[in-house]
Amino acid sequence: MLKTTIMLLITAPILFSFLFVALGKSLYKFLAWAFFIVGAVSSIMLVLDGTGKVEVAGSSFALLENIVLILEVLIILFVFYVSAKHKNWPTLALIAIQTVIAAYSYMTIAKVESVSFNIDQFSQVMILIVNIIGTAIILFATGYMDQYEKHKHLNRQKTFYFTMSFFLAAMNGLVMVDTLGWLYLFWEITTLCSFVLIAYNQDEESINNGFRALALNLIGGITFSLALIMLSTKFDISNLSAVGTSSTAVAVALPVILLCIAGFAKSAQMPFQSWLLGAMVAPTPVSALLHSSTMVNAGVFLIIKLVPAFANTPLGIAIAIYGSFTFVMCSALALSQRNAKRVLAYSTIANLGLIIASAGIGTPLAVAAAIMLLLFHAISKALLFLCTGEIEHTIGSKDIEDMSGLIKKAPFLTMLASLGMISMLLPPFGVLLTKWVSMEVASSNPIVSIFLILGSALTTVYYVKWLGTILSSSMDKNAVQHLKPETYFPLSLLGSLIVVTSILVFSIYDYFIKPQIATLLNIAPTVSGQGGQFSSEIGAFAYAVIFIVLALAILIYFATKNMFTPRPAGYYMCGENNLEKDKLMFRNGIGSYDKSSVSNIYLQNIFGENKLTTLGYVISILLIVIALVEVVVV
Amino acid sequence: MNSLDIAKIVLVLIGAPILGCLLAGIDRRLTARLQGRVGPPILQPYYDVMKLFQKDNMVVNESQNLYVVLYVVFVILSLLMLVFDADILMIVFVYTVSSVALVVGGMSTGSPYARIGSSREIMAILSYEPILILYALAIYLLTGTFKLSALNNTTTPLLMYIPLIFISMMFVMNIKFKKSPFDYSTSHHAHQELVKGMLTEYSGPGLAGIEIGHFYEYVFLLGLMFLFWKVNIIIGLLVALIAFLFVIIMDNITARVYWQWMLKISWTILLIISVVNVLYLYVAKIKLI
Repeated sequence: MLKTTIMLLITAPILFSFLFVALGKSLYKFLAWAFFIVGAVSSIMLVLDGTGKVEVAGSSFALLENIVLILEVLIILFVFYVSAKHKNWPTLALIAIQTVIAAYSYMTIAKVESVSFNIDQFSQVMILIVNIIGTAIILFATGYMDQYEKHKHLNRQKTFYFTMSFFLAAMNGLVMVDTLGWLYLFWEITTLCSFVLIAYNQDEESINNGFRALALNLIGGITFSLALIMLSTKFDISNLSAVGTSSTAVAVALPVILLCIAGFAKSAQMPFQSWLLGAMVAPTPVSALLHSSTMVNAGVFLIIKLVPAFANTPLGIAIAIYGSFTFVMCSALALSQRNAKRVLAYSTIANLGLIIASAGIGTPLAVAAAIMLLLFHAISKALLFLCTGEIEHTIGSKDIEDMSGLIKKAPFLTMLASLGMISMLLPPFGVLLTKWVSMEVASSNPIVSIFLILGSALTTVYYVKWLGTILSSSMDKNAVQHLKPETYFPLSLLGSLIVVTSILVFSIYDYFIKPQIATLLNIAPTVSGQGGQFSSEIGAFAYAVIFIVLALAILIYFATKNMFTPRPAGYYMCGENNLEKDKLMFRNGIGSYDKSSVSNIYLQNIFGENKLTTLGYVISILLIVIALVEVVVV
Repeated sequence: MNSLDIAKIVLVLIGAPILGCLLAGIDRRLTARLQGRVGPPILQPYYDVMKLFQKDNMVVNESQNLYVVLYVVFVILSLLMLVFDADILMIVFVYTVSSVALVVGGMSTGSPYARIGSSREIMAILSYEPILILYALAIYLLTGTFKLSALNNTTTPLLMYIPLIFISMMFVMNIKFKKSPFDYSTSHHAHQELVKGMLTEYSGPGLAGIEIGHFYEYVFLLGLMFLFWKVNIIIGLLVALIAFLFVIIMDNITARVYWQWMLKISWTILLIISVVNVLYLYVAKIKLI
């Protein structure tokens, strides 16, 4: 039963990807709905099937192994082809190195007799994220891409949907498979898919950014394959779950750090962050997919799976410091950005940094926080990205300053976007709850703590700025919202998922996270969920009370609303208003009329990219080098 | 939840605004005396609120009063959590909700004055939030838990080991009371600004709600200072009183500074001394329990 579901989860998206190619544009909407339903049902089926290991051996394995080999060769050839075609020498050099390593590993690594899939609770969570959020994003895309392509004069939707669906298949494989060789294949497929999607517009900028993503992820791919060779030849390990057994922790430290570096690259941690920032040239659904349900999650997924190998070791501390450094640095960079997508990109990198920091701390509670943050972040970030895309279609801009007055123009969309932002920074929502757990567990390490504290304050600032801007009312109303079901269904779904998962946080913890931590670290964190309180030995978070109070506040508002009849009035402009023309106009010193405009504070000269990026590169590279040296010396 | 808890809740709900109102009245009287005026009656803030409730509910944005309700409700919640010795880090986060509600409420009106005020208030959040969390971290390091209930089992006051954080917290009080020199988001003094910053478009019942929220907030903030000497209620109250007087005196002897200055002061001096204090706790491994 489990085996069928696993096969279904890999083959169904592939089938859909070919259907997208075979069928016409007019059917995409129905296909996407079908894909969403299949994705949701099959992922829930996997959860119901329970956990376990599945082995595929014998003749079917031989066939699959050949397919894998062919795919690997095809990937290499494809990268050679595109990098030669676009004369991108760094990528060409990297793929050449990769080829040499691949050939070497083909000759040296002992052939495995079977491929094994390892379904644990963490895989289940990832499968739910990929197949519910991922397909919802594809559904959203069917309401988005026509207008996008019209605007950009493109006609490449077949490539788009094919790659998006294939991406989900690779991602499904990646989170379920246990055999490292296969994991590596899926890893490379996601790299390739993201390259195709980032370069989607086929103009100079998008192709360059696509190559940057490809090159940086190839670096990760190289460290990954080096780790593979080491694990296989020195330790005779070919399964991911075997790396994690803590008995060999010290010995496998070098391959583990190499795998972690591959994870850092994939999760766009500093110094690799530029590929994810460049990725925003792609259509918004691509960004949403990369940032929330696929690509970047693969990196942190791998790192969390490796926790047993570095928990409570110096390497773990190094990883924690590195992650928290990325968190504070990228939060500071996000503060200086006006472009909504860039803010979100930095926020993603920062939150992944927080996940990595929690994984690095490595106590049971910290790892629980890491997995839960991964889940909550995926939902909130998918919603925020899709909302940004829809806002861009509504007002024609992704500059935060242009979004003022959005509440008047597109009220429902603004509410959803606000929900997304609030869930990123305020209690009682899941992201904040897990951030709270991370901060409490980090208190054992002063450097990590201080980084998290500063990053947390910066996070509040950049989201509140944006939140206030979209909720501010303005008098001009020159936008219309198009309430299409295929765009608003995914948005509403994600919005309700945020609320539901936040309310059910303890049940989620109990069902998925607790047994997973027990498998990873052999002990489960001591957390109780009595009376709507998430309490550990060092703190308690009464999320239920906050939910009740929040509901109460809204009730009080509506109950008292009619006690004081609101009387609408115009702005106060010190008596210099020009009410006839525009409520925001005022009479200036020389008697003519000016429009008042106020913008947020971005602190460009303190937290600007040109001030901080170099510093970020230097320190993050230094931290990785220190971790490497530490591993080699010890 | 037993009857004692319910009595506590009722006491906080009714007692805190009365106390806060009196504090505000004392503040105005003292300020007047420092400026050589007679000053209003102690109950003037109460009369003001009552009068505001009878005014028309003039709004620019129909939903602007929702943020007032959120602000007041979450200030009350953070105060209640403080009274019930909840998790200090969580109290800080719940308190953030109320600050954010006020900021967003100001911005929601769309008035340029209010938006300037709100932007500055966001910078204030950036200035004080790390210090508040460092304070929480210090409590954890000293007691081994973020739950404030552990402070009941201690015999040495926190102030003994975290004097530098105490100094930073004094400045935080100044920022959060919105008093000069850090009163640039909205000011109590007419001479500092012509238009009331973040709260420009709030009048009548909405403004009355904000004033009531402030009463609760005063008590909450002084409650945070009280924690520094929780082992002895009298001295604890004295510490809170000193903090309150410090805020009033600072308010009267300084003029408003640029918000950039505050950011510089807090992210350099205040943050560094707080971090030094926290690092000292790490290194010295002092435990109160």
